[in-house]
Amino acid sequence: MVVAGRQKSIAFFIALGAGLIFVTVLLYIGWVLLNWRTGILLFFGVVLALLIIAGVVLNTIFLVREIRRNEQHDAFINAVTHELKTPLASIRLYLETLQSRAVEEEKRKEFYRVMLEDSDRLLGTIEQVLRTGRVGPGSRKISRSRVDLNAVITDCVQRARMLHGLNGEQLRYRPTSPCTISGDLDEVRAAVSNLIDNAVKYSNGNVNVRVDVSETHRGRISVRVRDEGAGIGQSDLKRIFKRFYRVSGPLATRVKGTGLGLYIVRSVAKRHGGRAWAESEGPGRGSTFVLELPIAS
Amino acid sequence: MRRVLVVEDEKHLAEGLRFNLEAEGYSVTVCETGEEALQRLTVDRQIFDVLVLDVMLPGQDGFSVMTDLRQAGQFIPTLILTARGHSDDVLRGFGAGADDYLVKPFDLSILIARIHGLLRRREWLLTEEERAPAPSQIKDEYSFDGTSVQFDLLELRSRGEVFRLTLMEANVLRYLIRHENEPVSRKTMLDEVWGLHEDTDTRPIDNFIMRLRRYIEADPQHPRHLLTVRGVGYRFVAHPKGT
Repeated sequence: MVVAGRQKSIAFFIALGAGLIFVTVLLYIGWVLLNWRTGILLFFGVVLALLIIAGVVLNTIFLVREIRRNEQHDAFINAVTHELKTPLASIRLYLETLQSRAVEEEKRKEFYRVMLEDSDRLLGTIEQVLRTGRVGPGSRKISRSRVDLNAVITDCVQRARMLHGLNGEQLRYRPTSPCTISGDLDEVRAAVSNLIDNAVKYSNGNVNVRVDVSETHRGRISVRVRDEGAGIGQSDLKRIFKRFYRVSGPLATRVKGTGLGLYIVRSVAKRHGGRAWAESEGPGRGSTFVLELPIAS
Repeated sequence: MRRVLVVEDEKHLAEGLRFNLEAEGYSVTVCETGEEALQRLTVDRQIFDVLVLDVMLPGQDGFSVMTDLRQAGQFIPTLILTARGHSDDVLRGFGAGADDYLVKPFDLSILIARIHGLLRRREWLLTEEERAPAPSQIKDEYSFDGTSVQFDLLELRSRGEVFRLTLMEANVLRYLIRHENEPVSRKTMLDEVWGLHEDTDTRPIDNFIMRLRRYIEADPQHPRHLLTVRGVGYRFVAHPKGT
């Protein structure tokens, strides 16, 4: 309902902009017909008319973008609400169950495990939101140290295997020769972890993820995370790195997320003087995410 | 036993709800998508007494599931259980046809009280006809054609012999007796006696019938009371014609 309302207001502002431009052009033609003999007035008239038209166009673009941003912001609030409240609801439910019912030892242990998993999930979401603030524009400088990228990736891969119950075949990584970058360990780990988690999440159950590290010719090192999952349409390849952006469609409702993960990846890459991008042959054909960071001198 | 259908894609929550509702004496079925719930409730016409519906589901969301259910004439009492607690969302839920709305995280006792409330309302509204006694409440002794069954003692006397019945045998027999002279399908029996709504194998029922025939029938190969209705199931006849 809210989204339909937004679509309407976007259409309204575009129509308003077009209408205003049309009126301006009409007035302008009238002006030219009246003043075509006086050169200087005509000149100012042209400039003024062009300025007005440019202003109206800019105004329309700005409004539409603002409405879109609001829309994404709402979607984000919904997603975060869900991601925060669901594990909390679950923990609470199990605690109340333990408090109010006689529960067998076996079940009790299972309940504790479930609650721990839920609190990890909760913590993950909170970390993600806080990190978004830390890596965004205008945040403090990174505290650089020498980071062994192989160790970081191995760490992330093992964590992901445990978390998602994967074996070494489903999530493959073979460490290469030692490579050290200069950066913030915590941020680099978060970025790599996000890429791996995404690859697993969007694999639709058919998990076959490969992580590769290679040195590129410009003194940079690139981490490639390849999956055979959902894939990405051409038009979304860039947009998915925007804050709050999530690809629309059934996939986004099935795979839960806040729309912050890739934004963090790109921000971390930028802060380290590197870059991040995605490659995909299209929906359903898998995708590769690349994080490129400069090697420590 | 009251049957609750829980539509929830978060496994932890779903299992927690199942545990608690079963502890309250409900039979609980969980499904993960709105599409599956619609299939069960409108196409398969499975019988449930209360629906607990999440909103943020993969695929079709809970609000549109609710709308579709009501449009299909499925008026099962429904509680929407969701993380979305904004007043717009609550209004949308009721607008779609929900009977109650509860926001996550929720208080377990409140959730149970609300489900009780929905059931109570439903029972108050049931007509006399619908309020037929449940199988367990039917008279506890039944005699027919030289056979007598004492359901409370799980005993069956026939042709001078006493047979001990298992609880399930007694329930099956009681159900058939209650529907005397009507053909009863295997699926309905699974549904009503066992409380199973899945596409479970119906062959175990045949085994129950075979055992019951051994107790009741003089000649189990040529039954006169527990008749097979081809392509459907079984029919109980207390007083066969020609006796």
